[in-house]
This record gives sequence, C-alpha cells and structure tokens, in this order.
Amino acid sequence: MTTIAFPTLISRPTSYTGLWSWIGTVDHKRIGTLYGVTAFLYFLIGGIEALVIRGQLSTAENDMVSPEIFNQLFTMHGTTMVFMVVMPMSAAFFNWMVPLMIGARDVAFPRLNAFSYWAFLFGTIFLNMSFFLGGAPNAGWFGYANLTGNTYSPGDGVTFWALGLTILGVASLAASFNFIVTILNMRAPGMSLMKMPVFVWMALVTNVLLALAMPVIAVALIQLGLDRVLGTNFFNPLAGGDPVLWQHLFWLFGHPEVYILILPAMGIVSETLPVFSKKPLFGYPAIVLAGAVIGFMGWFVWSHHMFTVGLGPAANSAFTISTMLIAVPTGVKIFNWMGTVWGGKLHLNTSMMFSLGFIAMFVIGGLSGVTHASPPTDAQQQDTYYIVAHFHYVLFGGSILGLFAGGYYWWPKMTGKRLGESFGKWHFWTMLIGFNLTFGPMHWLGLNGMPRRISTYAEGMGWETSNAIATAGAMLIAVSVLIFIINVIRTISSKQEAEDDPWDGRTLEWSIPSPPPAYNFARIPQVKSLDDYWYTKHPELLHDERGEQTESPAPVEEDSHGGGSIHLPSMSYYPFVVAIGMSIGIIGFMEIRVDIPSTDLQLPWLSVVGIVVGMWGLLGWIFEPVTAEGGH
Amino acid sequence: MNLRRLLRPLRSRFLFLIPIAPALLVACNKEDAQSTFGTSGPIADTQASLFIFIFWIAVVVFVLVEAALIYSIVKFRRRGDSDDSLPEQTHGNNKLEVIWTIIPVIILVVIAVPTIKIIYDQDGPPTDQGPVLEVNVRAHQWWWEIDYPGEDVVTSNEIHIPVGQWVNFTMHSDDVIHSFWVPKLAGKLDIVPGDVRQLAMKADEAGFFFGQCAEFCGEAHAKMRFRVKAEEPEEFQAWLDSMRRPPVELVSEDAIAGQTLFAANCSSCHATNTWQAPAARNERTRLAGLRTAFIGNIEDSAVIPAPNLTHFASRETLGAGLIELNSENLIKWIADPDDVKEGNRMKDLAAPYRNNSLSTNDVRQLAAYLLELKPIAADAVVAAVDLGGTAEERGEAVFAGSSGCSGCHSTGSATLVGPGLADLSSRSSDAEIHESITDPGAVIVEGFPDSVMPQIFESTLSSDELTDLIAYLKSL
Repeated sequence: MTTIAFPTLISRPTSYTGLWSWIGTVDHKRIGTLYGVTAFLYFLIGGIEALVIRGQLSTAENDMVSPEIFNQLFTMHGTTMVFMVVMPMSAAFFNWMVPLMIGARDVAFPRLNAFSYWAFLFGTIFLNMSFFLGGAPNAGWFGYANLTGNTYSPGDGVTFWALGLTILGVASLAASFNFIVTILNMRAPGMSLMKMPVFVWMALVTNVLLALAMPVIAVALIQLGLDRVLGTNFFNPLAGGDPVLWQHLFWLFGHPEVYILILPAMGIVSETLPVFSKKPLFGYPAIVLAGAVIGFMGWFVWSHHMFTVGLGPAANSAFTISTMLIAVPTGVKIFNWMGTVWGGKLHLNTSMMFSLGFIAMFVIGGLSGVTHASPPTDAQQQDTYYIVAHFHYVLFGGSILGLFAGGYYWWPKMTGKRLGESFGKWHFWTMLIGFNLTFGPMHWLGLNGMPRRISTYAEGMGWETSNAIATAGAMLIAVSVLIFIINVIRTISSKQEAEDDPWDGRTLEWSIPSPPPAYNFARIPQVKSLDDYWYTKHPELLHDERGEQTESPAPVEEDSHGGGSIHLPSMSYYPFVVAIGMSIGIIGFMEIRVDIPSTDLQLPWLSVVGIVVGMWGLLGWIFEPVTAEGGH
Repeated sequence: MNLRRLLRPLRSRFLFLIPIAPALLVACNKEDAQSTFGTSGPIADTQASLFIFIFWIAVVVFVLVEAALIYSIVKFRRRGDSDDSLPEQTHGNNKLEVIWTIIPVIILVVIAVPTIKIIYDQDGPPTDQGPVLEVNVRAHQWWWEIDYPGEDVVTSNEIHIPVGQWVNFTMHSDDVIHSFWVPKLAGKLDIVPGDVRQLAMKADEAGFFFGQCAEFCGEAHAKMRFRVKAEEPEEFQAWLDSMRRPPVELVSEDAIAGQTLFAANCSSCHATNTWQAPAARNERTRLAGLRTAFIGNIEDSAVIPAPNLTHFASRETLGAGLIELNSENLIKWIADPDDVKEGNRMKDLAAPYRNNSLSTNDVRQLAAYLLELKPIAADAVVAAVDLGGTAEERGEAVFAGSSGCSGCHSTGSATLVGPGLADLSSRSSDAEIHESITDPGAVIVEGFPDSVMPQIFESTLSSDELTDLIAYLKSL
C-alpha cells in the first residue's frame, strides 16, 4: 500500500484496551456504547433538573429556588432531554444495531462516526459548563426571540446555548449522513429495502429527517449567534427584525425533531412486539409506509406550535388539517402493533412490558394531541401544563419507555448478560405508575389555567393538589431509575452468560455471538426474506405461509473479500482531534478576543486556534490510511 | 374459564389507570379562578364546548384502544414456560389496513369541520351585535398598560369592561413576546413586539376575572398577571368618568409627606396625573420616551416605563394582579419589591433603591399617599383649577409634581440621576435651558450618560408650563 507522505504527528493507538483505545476507536459498537453511557448520564442530570423543578412547584408560593435558577433549570431540562438524552440514546441503538441488523461489519464512515460522538460530547460539556460560568441558558429550550437578544438576556447563558447547539447540530449531521449511506449501501446481499427490519427503516427515516432538519436550526442558531455576538438584528423588532421568523425556523426544525425523537422508539417496539408475541410484524409494509409518510408529513405541520401567535384564520385552518392528517399514519402504526399482539403468544418479560406500556401511553399522548390540533381549543391549552402533559406522554411515555424496551431487549446482545427480570419488572411498574402520577394531573392543571414555565404560583388557584401529586410521581420515577441502575450494576457484576439468541429473535443480530466480535459477522449473511434469521430457524414456516421457495435457505456465502480475511478500519485519533478543533473553533466566538493593532477589528483568537487544530486534524485524517500497515 | 382467574391479571394491568383517577377527582372545580371551564363569555364558552366534543371522541377511542390492548395482553399471554408452540403466523390484512385508515379520517373530519368554522367565527368581534368597545393593551416586562382610545383614560393591570358588550383588545408589546390570556373569557393570543394583535371577547356576566401572561417572557413571567373587571354598563361608565375626575384632597399628614416623597423618588417613571386629558393623551409618548431612554442605556438607566398609578387606591390588586391592595401589602411592596416579585425592574433601576435611601418612615408615608389616590365623588364640586401665583411658583409645581423632574434632579448641587440644578441661570441661557428640556440629547453635561433623560417633555409640557418651569429653574 502506498502512502502519501504526510508527517504522522500522532501515531495510531495500538492497544485495544484502556482509555486511549476508547478515544481512538472507530468500532460502531464501542461508539454506540459511548453514546449510550453519555446519554444515560445526561438522563440523570436532566432528571435531577426535573426533580428540582418539581420540588419548587410542589406547593404554592414556594421559594426553594429563585425564578432565575428555575428558568435555567427548565431551559436545561428540555435542552438536555431532547439533545443530550433521547437523540443520542437513539444514536446509541443506531450505532449498535443498524450494522448488526443489516449484516454489515461496520458503518460506512467509521471515522466520521467517531467524530460525531466526540463533537456531541464536547458540545454537551460546553453547554453544561455554563452552570459554572455565569449562569446557564434561561430562555427556554425553544429560545424564542427576541427574549434571547442581548437586551433581555444579558450574560452569556443564551450564547452558550446557541453555540453549544450548533456543535451538537454538526455532530447530528455527521451521524445522519453516515447512517443514511450505511443503510443504503451496506446491507447484506439479498436484503432489499422491503426486507429490512423496521428498526432499520425507522433509523433511515430518522436520519433523513436529521439531515434535512439540522440545517434549518443551524441557520436559526447562527442568526441568533450573530445577533448576540456581532450585533446583527435578525430578530430585533426595533431594527426591523422579526421575532416570529425565529419561531418559523425553530418549529420547521422542531416538528421533524419530534419525529426524530419518537421514530427510533417506534422502530424498537416494531422489533420487540413480534419477537415477544412469536408472530411476524402485522402489516410490515403499512408500518414502513406509515413511518415514511410521518417523516414526510412532519414537514407540513410546524405552525401548529404557533396557533396562538396570530398567523390568521387561513394559516391556522391549513395547519389544523395537516396536523390532523398526520394522526392517521400514527394510528395505522398503533393498530398494526395491536394486530401483531393479537393472537400471539405473549412473553411478558420486561422488554415486552415496556413495549406494551409504550403503546398504552403513546395512545394517550396522541389523543391529547388531537385535542389541541384544533386552534380554538388550543387557544386555551397552548403554553399551559396541558401541553406539558401531552408531550411528556409522547416523549416519556413514548420515546423513553420505547428506549427502555430496546435496552432490555438488546442488553444481552450488547453485553453478553441479561438484565435481571424481577428488578426489571419493579423498574417498569414504578416507572409507569410514577410517570402517570407525574404527568396525568398536569392535564388537569393546564385545563385549570396553570401556564407553563412559571416559577411559582399563588395560593387558592386550585393547583396545589395536582402539583403535589405530580411531585410525588416524579420522586417515584426517580426511585424507578435507581432500581434500573441497581439492576444494571447487579447484572454487570454477575457471572451469567447470555445465549447468542436468548429471545428466539427474528433479525440478523441474533445470529452472531453475544457480545459480537469486533468484525460482527464471520461470514456476511445472504438474505432471502424479511426476518431471514427467523426463517433459517423455522424453514417450514417460509414454505407454509408464503410458498415462495421450497428449499431451505442457502447457506451463507463466503465473505466477499474471500480468503477469510476480514478488513476492519484501524483506530484513529484524528476524529477526536477534529472534533476538539471544531468545537473550540465554534466556542471561540464567545467574547474571547484580542484587538488587532491599528484596526478597529478584533481577533477571536480561540477560534483561530480551534480552526488550526481542526484543519491539522483533518489533514491527518485525509492522509492516514484507513487500515494500518499490517493491520486487518 | 373461571371469570375471576381471567380478571386477576387484568386488575394489575389496570394499575396504570389508578393515577388518572385522583387527577379526575381533584379536577372538577369549575369555580377555580383560571379554569378553562365554567366560562363567562361566548368565545370561551365555544372553545370549552369544542374541547368537550373532541374530548369525548378521544375518550371513546381511548377506551376502545386500551381495552383491546389490555384484552390481548390478558387473552394472548403465554401460559407457562413450557409452551413453545407457535401461534398462527399472520402477516397482515389489507382490509383491516383500509378500515383503520378510513375510520380515523372520518373521525378527524368530524372534528375538523366545526374547528374551522369556529376559527373563522372567532376572528374578530361580530359586526351585528352593537358597538364594540376598543381597548388598547400594551404588554411590558412584567405588567400591562391599558388605555381606552377616545376616552382619555389610562390605567394598568386592571382592565374594566362592560358586561354584554363586545370588547376588542388591540395589543402591542414594548419589549418581548407576551401572551394575553383571560381563561374565563377567551383563549390566549400572543403579543409580538413590532406587530399588532387584535383579540375580541365579551363577558356575559359580571366578575373579576383572572388573567396571566402565557408566553414565557423572562425572570418575573410567573408574576405577570392581571385582572379583568366586568361590570354592568352603568358601573363601567361611572368608572370611566371617575378616572377623569381629579383626586380627592389628601387628608393625612403621612399622605401629604408621601406626595413629596413620591414626586422626588417615583414620579419620573410612574404617572399619577392622567385624570387630566392632556396627560392621558401624552401617557403613551411619555412611556415610549422612558423606554427609549432605558434601551439606550441599559446598564445605567434609572428610568423605565412603569405602571400608571392614577387613582391607584381605587384598584383592588397590587403588583400586576399579584396581591390584594391594602396598607400592609403596599408597605411590603414599596419596602422591598423584589421580595414580592423577584426580578421586577423597580428594585434594579430606581434611584431610591440603588442608593438605599428610603427609610421605613418614607415607605409608610408613600403607602399612605398612594392609598389616598382616588377620584373625588361624582357630585363633588370641582374647584376651578387655580393656576395663580407667580411663574416661579407654578414652575416649581411642574418641577416637583407630575412631570417628575425632581426624581432625577436636585435643586441644590447634589447629583441624583442627573446633575444638580442650583445656580443654573449663571450657566445657561433661556434658550439653552429650553433646548435641554425639549431635546435632552442636544447637550450632555460631561460625566453624565447620554439618553437617560426621556425625550418626551416637548410633548408632555404645554408651552405655558415650559415657560413657568424655565422661570423656576432660573430662580434657583
């Protein structure tokens, strides 16, 4: 192999264990683990923020925290749960499972994948550092202009938010391109799109949404950053700017974002329900189509977040219709899941319980959504706790329960050990009850006139009891998360070894050892049908039901590279270096500048440092061979 | 099969319904002040009815779906670990797919049709139900400025409206986005700075309705509340009239002392004189000037638009609908506004708080003054406003009184917010003094920031008042 001469300033990591091997890793499974662990830590941080919020609101006229701190907490709770928990936790499952489910040895761009994680990590650390550097962002996760302008949000909090989210946006974009290409190009031979597992389909839709939605929020964040750092007036009404422009941009990103948060969980339960019902997924094409339609229609509903902005009756009517229409494919999914369960032989283990809990809770969130798809009723509900209840039923009852279902389902594949079932069931029931105690009463609070984002409320409004119940529920959720943590610790320290296929699974990841070897598949599988692995175990079913073929599936072919030699990308530090450089480059736009002599310009020197580091890392990345000399 | 055995697992599956029950139990109090039920006007009535209509459809769907789900969990659960046989392997059913696509579409059409009809019905006040009362609302961080166009009446945070008449609120925001919401009367509408919003509503019965800003607007968002007082038409008219009558003569010594304190400490931001038509007409300009001064110098500004306090004692609440207006609460509020409403601008900006110059006694006297600020009775003989005295005496009244010069300028050499004015005639000509009042930015005394003094006095002072004021200033 010829190598173009480029000074190798940092040599590759050599050991496959220890800290440096994690920093240099390009293995999709290790990166998935990094995403998962990081996201879970942020789940705890976001949860603690939520507990303080609930503590403050447990009684009327409470002063446990000041309004300023309260505003920082609800801003960071939303920002954390959306960008640092649900998205990366979904990314953890994409990383782990997409290559395994499509029979690939790695993702299409392993180093880009590593870069995505490190950029995500640095962005989140930067955002959270704001707590210790003069105050966290305090203008809400939706950051409505012009409250985010320097006039009304002095201090650096909102700048941290704008720049931090910009870094996270770059990370998400990198990840989305990687997964789109991986899914389109790296499926095992024979796996046509309509033979892909639904989770992979939902990963594809989600990542297409990410690739299209992230640029929209990036534009808005850059405009906000320019307004704050350089004094432009995109959102300043006094200078002819338009605060409503921000809302259009934010929700044009924000509504697809909702589907970015829920589609991965929908994909997960579309895997667990058939496996634990011992039946194929009911209406596979309908579920796939519904997911794709949701992904498409998700672009035409953004203004339903803005029914009370005063866009006028024509706009409100149009967005009412599009919003109601999107309920139809969502309903199709739910009915097909129920069709899957119907007539099955349900194995009610923890993963299945979380999956069924997902359906039960998501239905509530969906129906309350229909009640404020109607602008006249939304006029009373918008910006109240009714909305808080609604989207927590979708994002907690939906996404979080779905992600836990996936966690229990794939844990043996990822770690080689099964999570404890009795602790798991305690975890499920405490979480389900705690969740309903917390968010159920909020429906009433909203209808009873309690606005969102208020740091305290007066006595005698009729809100005390419901708030007290909600706070008690939040504590029960905290207990359930503790039970989960204990379960994980017990499982990790136990000596058990899970089977390769503990659930009698249907998809390819169950055909390889638990945990999988670095190369995943010793031989690239040859796929003949949907749920191919299931039919290799039950060849008679394929014959019986479909009459498609009479012989049992052919044995998998030799690896296309032949000779049994498996090529894997070698470890590299450069993605880490580029992520550091890029992050510092963006962070440097905060007010860390020196005057340039004899001009009235200022040099954001930290950005320059970041750009230099990033460019150097990029050159190293380009000139570094994918596979180390002598590696394989 | 034994029914009880069938139900045993069912009971535990129903556990998740338990938390919903207490929520519903505490639910049913329509009397709560901000409940969206038990409404008192046609807009909110219709919105509540539409919600109830959609709610029951949702309940039916909810019950059917959850019941089917629970039934399948119970019916189709695996019994015993040894049962490894496979159930029937169904892959789908096109007929079902069509059915469960069409039925939701029908349901949604049933919801969408009345929805869109109501959207258009509620777009503006009806044209066939009598005259519409116009009310201007201007939202500020974190209070509400109210005026009645054509009536020369300005007030804040308590909006009086007549029962049975449509009211059209024309709404602006002076700073960030707010949202105007009186749940008992109508759903909310955001108020976007740089733009105008109109919201029509009507009260069908008298009441003191709670309102609250519904869009997050910064630190004191939780305490940006207000009230709408719906009164019988004749009471409403009486209130409007009373707002145009002069205040009663102060009685207590505390109140008289408080008036001087108010003029010196509070009057550069808070007006108390809009019972006079010219002052009422100028109030918006005055507040806009204060705002320009504030925006121009956020770090050091000592002025900001502040609630109009004309006939303050005739109100029922304090601090933007926060607490009952009484002596105890008012003293608490003046002594430490942040304690009642953290984040409010008075504590940050106003000189007496910055300099910590209000004594407990001052606070008590200010409260006494404000609690005597009410209009004279309708039948009281209004003494002709006596503008007697010398030009200097009349000018002194302008200086210390409603135009609020004394809030920022001492008549000695001490610096308050602006420079002391002692011996002004030796420094400035009449024309220069005139210019400095009407165009404060023209000349800035060295060491003082630009844009602090409101650029409003040209419009708020009559030419007589200006002449008198200059005469007084020259006499210092």
